[in-house]
Amino acid sequence: MGFSMTISDTWHRLPRPVRIVLARLPLLVPQMLGVIFVTFILVRLLPGDPVLLMLGNMATEESIATLREQLGLDGSIWSQFLVYFQNLIQGDLGVSMFTSNPVIKDLLERAPATLELITYAMILTLLIAVPTAIYATVRPKSIVDRASRVYGLAAGSLPDFWVALLLIFIFFTTFGIAVAPFGRIDPMLSAPEFVTGFYTLDALLAGDLQAFLSAGSRLLLPVITLAIVNSGALMKMTSSAFGEIWHSDFIQHQRASGVPERKIIRAALRNSLPPLITLTGFLFGFLLGAAVLVETIFSWGGLGQYAVMAVINSDYPALQGFVLVAAAFILIVYLIVDVLYEIVDPRIEV
Amino acid sequence: MSATMTPAETPHTDLSATSDLGRFLVRRPAALIGLTLLVLQILAIIFAPVLSTHDPMQANALRSLQPPSWENWLGTDVSGMDIYSRIIYATRINLLISVTAVGAAFIVGVPIGLLVGYYRGWASNLTMRVFDFVQSFPVFVMGMALVSVMGQEIWNVAIALGVLFTPVFARLIRAETLSLRERSFIAAAKCSGATDIKILFRHILPNALSPAIVQISISIGMAILLTAGLSFIGAGVRMPTPEWGLMVSTGSQQMILGIWWVSFFPGLAIILSVLSFALIADAARDFIDPRRAR
Repeated sequence: MGFSMTISDTWHRLPRPVRIVLARLPLLVPQMLGVIFVTFILVRLLPGDPVLLMLGNMATEESIATLREQLGLDGSIWSQFLVYFQNLIQGDLGVSMFTSNPVIKDLLERAPATLELITYAMILTLLIAVPTAIYATVRPKSIVDRASRVYGLAAGSLPDFWVALLLIFIFFTTFGIAVAPFGRIDPMLSAPEFVTGFYTLDALLAGDLQAFLSAGSRLLLPVITLAIVNSGALMKMTSSAFGEIWHSDFIQHQRASGVPERKIIRAALRNSLPPLITLTGFLFGFLLGAAVLVETIFSWGGLGQYAVMAVINSDYPALQGFVLVAAAFILIVYLIVDVLYEIVDPRIEV
Repeated sequence: MSATMTPAETPHTDLSATSDLGRFLVRRPAALIGLTLLVLQILAIIFAPVLSTHDPMQANALRSLQPPSWENWLGTDVSGMDIYSRIIYATRINLLISVTAVGAAFIVGVPIGLLVGYYRGWASNLTMRVFDFVQSFPVFVMGMALVSVMGQEIWNVAIALGVLFTPVFARLIRAETLSLRERSFIAAAKCSGATDIKILFRHILPNALSPAIVQISISIGMAILLTAGLSFIGAGVRMPTPEWGLMVSTGSQQMILGIWWVSFFPGLAIILSVLSFALIADAARDFIDPRRAR
């Protein structure tokens, strides 16, 4: 009794954000185990023997047996999972059949390229979608409202890979105002020294203006592609989340009391923050999937392009590693989303 | 279907469900556009041999990368295949994959949703957690992994998409079932001795279906986009099968050289197709729930 009292005492003395993080963190463990298990069975249990698929026509009895042993595929499914899990704990995701590097090394090298791309894409998507959705809700039947409705429907129908190609055709081929759509930086320039892995930030930190401009201009088309395609859906979801608050009783009451519109909008916005944070989290996950296609087109050299190479070359360790890392990344994003959600909504008891 | 849409106490005799739908369509030009596009696609599927001008898989090295002309309406691709004819034939493949995937997801997802919504307990909870989990992966990444592991064939694309869409339908039906099971007409059915099976399929199912039916159209659009994306990166349908995403992919190298028609027109076909299903879903939602339209 006394012991549990002290625990609950200490618990409540912790700052609220710390309590939120501590309460949410243990959930990550079973989720991660689930992810590991799913990526494991993805390759092992589905029809098609990965060993045969990897070796293709070159398979001999002997080579099959050797590769099977190499991959830890001999023995029961549980012992296989145990081997896989033990390796994983030690940071060993296997060796890529295509690059001959440890998969973990390949993935870590490429992660910053993808993160930089989707971070900027997310910022631009939010900047387009949220203000438009709010304006459209506050001024129904305005041109912005009508246009955003049409856009919300149409943008969801756009294939991102096609939009990317079209932008290249218009801005690079036809008008020559965009930089060449190959890679993250002009090949004549050396990449800035690694600090964050984001070329734009690292170039600024190194004071290398030329590299900064090159990296920034190369980001332009892929980021615009992702924003054009994804802001429609976000716009729709934001207007429904914001609209619900906007038409709620307390906002009506504020309006009836003669509170200036600016203040009402700010109050409504503050109250629609929790759903907005959730939507942003989903968007991050979605962009990760979309990046696969866009990276391939712009030879971005990130995780997405690596995954595509893995698919084309039937490079199973690489593909498995990518799915695992992508899923782990999404779980962490959702964790952050949950924590932020509870922080901005003070009504939630922790 | 039509009977349920006509209110029994209709004052005018001429007010049938079809004229209801007709009037609704006149007020909603967007819905009319969606329906027209859908009819065009169905025509393309049925009459592909008549509508096409060339054999969709006939390569012709002499006519490689021809711009749109009288002979090849939308130009030719790198192997000299006629883009217009391929777009027409691709409608079959793209819609076949998408409709099969969504149909399977609907058939599997709806009963699961009913059971999980009606019977509460650890099995239901576990199923929902598994679905949460499947849905937390980015769809495209999951689809890519599934297709490349199962082998890159048309049916495997459909199966992979079906697996990914099943939780969507189960979730929608479950949400409806959860509220319906507390309603008094279900209690009445129970009191009159109806079996669980009868309650689930005769009483709950018809009342729970509307959102799932709207979702069919949305999901078909998504499936078309995903199929095209998978083929684009080489994890789906393969050459020379006419498929829209694959066609965009074969022209992607030339786009930068200014040869735009190879990728442009198949992409347009994807957009119009997905748009038609989005417009129909949007209209269907308002038709089923008129309160939302305002």
